[in-house]
Amino acid sequence: MQRTVEAASPGGTPSGGGDGAPLLELSGMTKSFSGVTVLEDVSFDVRAGEVHALLGENGAGKSTLIKIAAGVHRPDRGSIRIGGREVSFASPRDARAGGIAVVYQELLLFPELTVAENIFIGHGPRTAAGTLDWRRMRERARELLDDLDSQHLDVDARVGGLSVANRQRVEIAKALSQDARVLIMDEPTASLAEADVQQLIQIVRTLRQRGVGIAYVSHKLPEVFALADRVTVLRDGRLVGTEPIAAMDERKVVSMMVGRSIDQLFPKVPTRLGEVMLEARGVCHAGVVRDVSFQLRAGEILGIAGLVGSGRTELALTLFGLTPATSGEILVGGSPVAVTSPDQARELGIAYVPEDRGLQGLVKPQTIAENIAHTMLERLRRGFLVDRARETALARHFIEALGIRARGPGQVVGQLSGGNQQKVVLAKWLAIEPRILIMDEPTRGIDVGAKSEIHALMSKLASEGLAILMISSELPEVLGMSDRVLVMNGGRVVAEFDGSEATQEAVGQAMTLTHQRGAA
Amino acid sequence: MKVLRHETVLAILLAIALAILAAQSDRFFTVDNLLNQGRLMAEVGLVALVMTFVIVSAGIDLSVGSIFGLVAILLGVFWQNVGMPLPLAIVAAIVVGVVAGLANGWVITRFKVPPLVATLATLALYRGLAEGISQARSVRGYPEWFFVLGQGEVLGVPTQLWVFAVFAVVASVILGLSPFGRATYAIGSNAVAARFSGIRVDRTILAIYAASGLMSAIAAVIFVSRVSTTRSDMGTGLELDVITAVVLGGTSIFGGRGTVIGTVLGVMLIQALKNGLALSGVKGDGTIVVIGFVLIASIVFSNLFRRNSDG
Amino acid sequence: MTAAEVARPPRPSLVSRTLEAYGQEIVVFAAIAVLFVVVGSVNPRFLSDSNLISIFSGNAYIAVAAIGMSLVIITGHIDVSVGSLIGALATIAGTLAVSGYPVWVAWVVPVLVGMAVNAMVGAVIAYVKIPSIVVTLGMLSILKGGLISLTGGAWITDMPPAFFIAQQRWFGIPSPIWFMVALTAVVALWMRHSPTARMFYAVGGNAEAARATGISPERTTVIAFTLHGLFAGIAALLFATQLQVIQSTVPPNLELTVITAAVIGGVSILGGTGTVVGSTLAAILFACIGSALVFLNVSAYWLKAVIGLLILATVLADMARRRRYRRI
Repeated sequence: MQRTVEAASPGGTPSGGGDGAPLLELSGMTKSFSGVTVLEDVSFDVRAGEVHALLGENGAGKSTLIKIAAGVHRPDRGSIRIGGREVSFASPRDARAGGIAVVYQELLLFPELTVAENIFIGHGPRTAAGTLDWRRMRERARELLDDLDSQHLDVDARVGGLSVANRQRVEIAKALSQDARVLIMDEPTASLAEADVQQLIQIVRTLRQRGVGIAYVSHKLPEVFALADRVTVLRDGRLVGTEPIAAMDERKVVSMMVGRSIDQLFPKVPTRLGEVMLEARGVCHAGVVRDVSFQLRAGEILGIAGLVGSGRTELALTLFGLTPATSGEILVGGSPVAVTSPDQARELGIAYVPEDRGLQGLVKPQTIAENIAHTMLERLRRGFLVDRARETALARHFIEALGIRARGPGQVVGQLSGGNQQKVVLAKWLAIEPRILIMDEPTRGIDVGAKSEIHALMSKLASEGLAILMISSELPEVLGMSDRVLVMNGGRVVAEFDGSEATQEAVGQAMTLTHQRGAA
Repeated sequence: MKVLRHETVLAILLAIALAILAAQSDRFFTVDNLLNQGRLMAEVGLVALVMTFVIVSAGIDLSVGSIFGLVAILLGVFWQNVGMPLPLAIVAAIVVGVVAGLANGWVITRFKVPPLVATLATLALYRGLAEGISQARSVRGYPEWFFVLGQGEVLGVPTQLWVFAVFAVVASVILGLSPFGRATYAIGSNAVAARFSGIRVDRTILAIYAASGLMSAIAAVIFVSRVSTTRSDMGTGLELDVITAVVLGGTSIFGGRGTVIGTVLGVMLIQALKNGLALSGVKGDGTIVVIGFVLIASIVFSNLFRRNSDG
Repeated sequence: MTAAEVARPPRPSLVSRTLEAYGQEIVVFAAIAVLFVVVGSVNPRFLSDSNLISIFSGNAYIAVAAIGMSLVIITGHIDVSVGSLIGALATIAGTLAVSGYPVWVAWVVPVLVGMAVNAMVGAVIAYVKIPSIVVTLGMLSILKGGLISLTGGAWITDMPPAFFIAQQRWFGIPSPIWFMVALTAVVALWMRHSPTARMFYAVGGNAEAARATGISPERTTVIAFTLHGLFAGIAALLFATQLQVIQSTVPPNLELTVITAAVIGGVSILGGTGTVVGSTLAAILFACIGSALVFLNVSAYWLKAVIGLLILATVLADMARRRRYRRI
């Protein structure tokens, strides 16, 4: 029977796994959850030695497709073939046995265990007696990491203490340790800084050369164009198209994703700058923020570029009072202030939209209204109680003003899409009517449509006189949105550019050059 | 409006239990018996009110029984050995209870010790202090007026039932409707996001554990007044009774979800079961078997309930 | 902060790696050593063979129970019913022994019952998805109430002499000490070298990641609880046979003593880390403190206060140590 299946599969060769037959072929995938169809007749394949990018807005069905390939979900209809042979996965274990490994966005590692054990958990080398062979496990972990240009990683280090980039390498090593022939990477660069992204891209290229087939899911078009051989776009659970990368450009990809064309990804509205709202004079915090000085004016968007660990988020935390400044002076509206806790910052009119929406920004099981009220508990107080009517009215106002797509103020935030969740975070901080808005990675992990909506909102807020400090890992975003750009490294501000003179090359070079100096 | 699903299940369970018990024994559904049961449940009930806050904030306080014992002992020691006037001794003992609760909160917030571990340590510490101070002596002979609290009545209703009712209403309003309650839920669901919203997380947690100490202390004073004596092993195992009542009342042990009304229903259901089964001839300890089953069953049911409606 | 560009850093010294991996075990061991030196110098009789043997053998059952508790906590759960379970199993053993069953039946049946009961508890936790503290809180009531109402609180006496396994001496050393040492050693090695046992750490450290790796958190939970039942059964035997009578009650708060031993021994209450060597050392430490108070002429009524202070001190030291490693 299997022979006939092979013969019937288009381009299939009897040997399987050759150039013709894809390593992994998903065809006619259909899947619905409790009556809602999330995937309809989607086909996707990965060939040996190629990077096949999978694109689509949030909710387009990418993660469902990945999870089917990984054996987490079972499709309602459609067939899965590995090397031309039809298979069905009852569990993730089956998929892995078929040579498919997934590097998930939320890295699935064990923080208390060592690097070596994380790589080999569940399939460690055994001794003749059947016990774990720790020595061989460590040796093979070493080899795998060396192959990934990760000589600096100690195989005995606890994973909990590693940076995100290093954890990702552990994940990739884990996938390779199981002889994965297909590697699915789910937004691998979502929480990486630029330098780490470049290294990851290098690693992916190496893997491709070795004949590994890679399915690459990402929101970031530059890296897709740098890496991919083919691109598949999903929208609303359906396949829009699969094209060779040569036939595509950014504009075309975006219009396939959103179903309309977007002329300008980063709307830039000219702003009239007002007086200085926030000033830092020699602000330091415990060696991670060093002698930072800058001025931020009303109506201005000041972008901060830098690598992860360069002190940009740390600076935001200091300005917001979470890690109070150990020396230096902070002035709000011209007068010196002491900011030692977030509630003080809030009373001074400083708002902070944090980088990790799920962890730091929202209480997901609670409603939109309740989440917005978190910054307003004292102001919504009437007598001893929370004024429910005002709370609901406030939520209604922001749902309309920010275009939050939700059933109403009573909807639970965890059910919203990433972009709408981000708008709720923004709403809860706009509710306090801030003078200064710090936005850390304002569009991380949200789809293209929502991204441009957030950018438009930022422009509008600035034009209304809000002073915005924007931290972002995405250079195009920093360059497109900012009136001025500060580059941070080693806790210091190492360069400053006017919006007009800031180019990708100039800012990128400033970051890299100073970084090497800092490391030496 | 959200339907209080678990509370509804509990209320129905309570009604069924009352109906069955009333049919089983004609002594159960009498005013005297019910009021007397109210007297017996007040101590666990008072501690459970604040335990609801503790568990909603994703914490736990295992030391309540030990604080209870320590306060009971100190009440006797302050009065008899130190020679304080009794009202002053009561106040002093309650202050110690609050300090003990504050110490819990301080260890938890200042040193980031998980609440389970921190209060496990103080469970041993406070009980140890109670035993060390009392040296197995008991204190008796309290003046007559003191027994009003634990054995007396006001308007025909046991004094401590009034105390419990007042605190239950106050706790319910604070948790359900006040900014402090909102902060408690936010902290229990996601403490990091609460802190990033400018909610004073540490201060809120300190206040909750201090209140837990306060309520354990008040319950201890009522208990001493009810049984007319003081011993160091008082309140042993109280923490498990209280947590059972709170969890039975629908408060999620992971924090972020739960109501005071649910807790009150939980306390009442446990007391009704204990009393009703005893009256129906089940021997004393057989009743706690039933309570164990009811605890597990009620959580299973409300889990299934929730899954179906989310479906 | 990004170490990506740096060449391979020097490997941390053996000392610092050992400290990081076994810090808590070392702290507890040091505490025992200090206690021996201090109390021994004040009152040398503390270090006499007979005293040490009685300390160790009288509390061995706590250490054995703590082994099982460690497995459960490492897997990310907790069991507050183990005290009642030990009491119930001890009563079953005694009842079988006086009812004329062969001694080996009286030994084996309670162990099997312990495994069966806890396998069921584990299944409810894993498959019905109810938090372990809730299920075991319910079990605490069920076991405690069930035991007392079935036995009526009566003590069991007149067991056949061969039943008293805990009173036997092998090579001059009481059998409970053999049990404690052998079980700790075997389980410690197993936890380190068996692929199955590493699943406990994986599930306790990150259940979702374990699932994605193909490890079933549900199955692992049931296995951990079943083994916990095994050790509770052995602990019950040691407890039941150390005296001539079996009381229907166990020491109050026994479950908390067992949990405390595991936690002080370095098992993180959050799951995913810890060893059974640590929990056994901690159980020994508690026993030594109890005895030391007697030899220092301190009223035994202060024992709990001292243990409480000690727990607090260890926990704070552990927190400080972890924070230091986190910073690096």
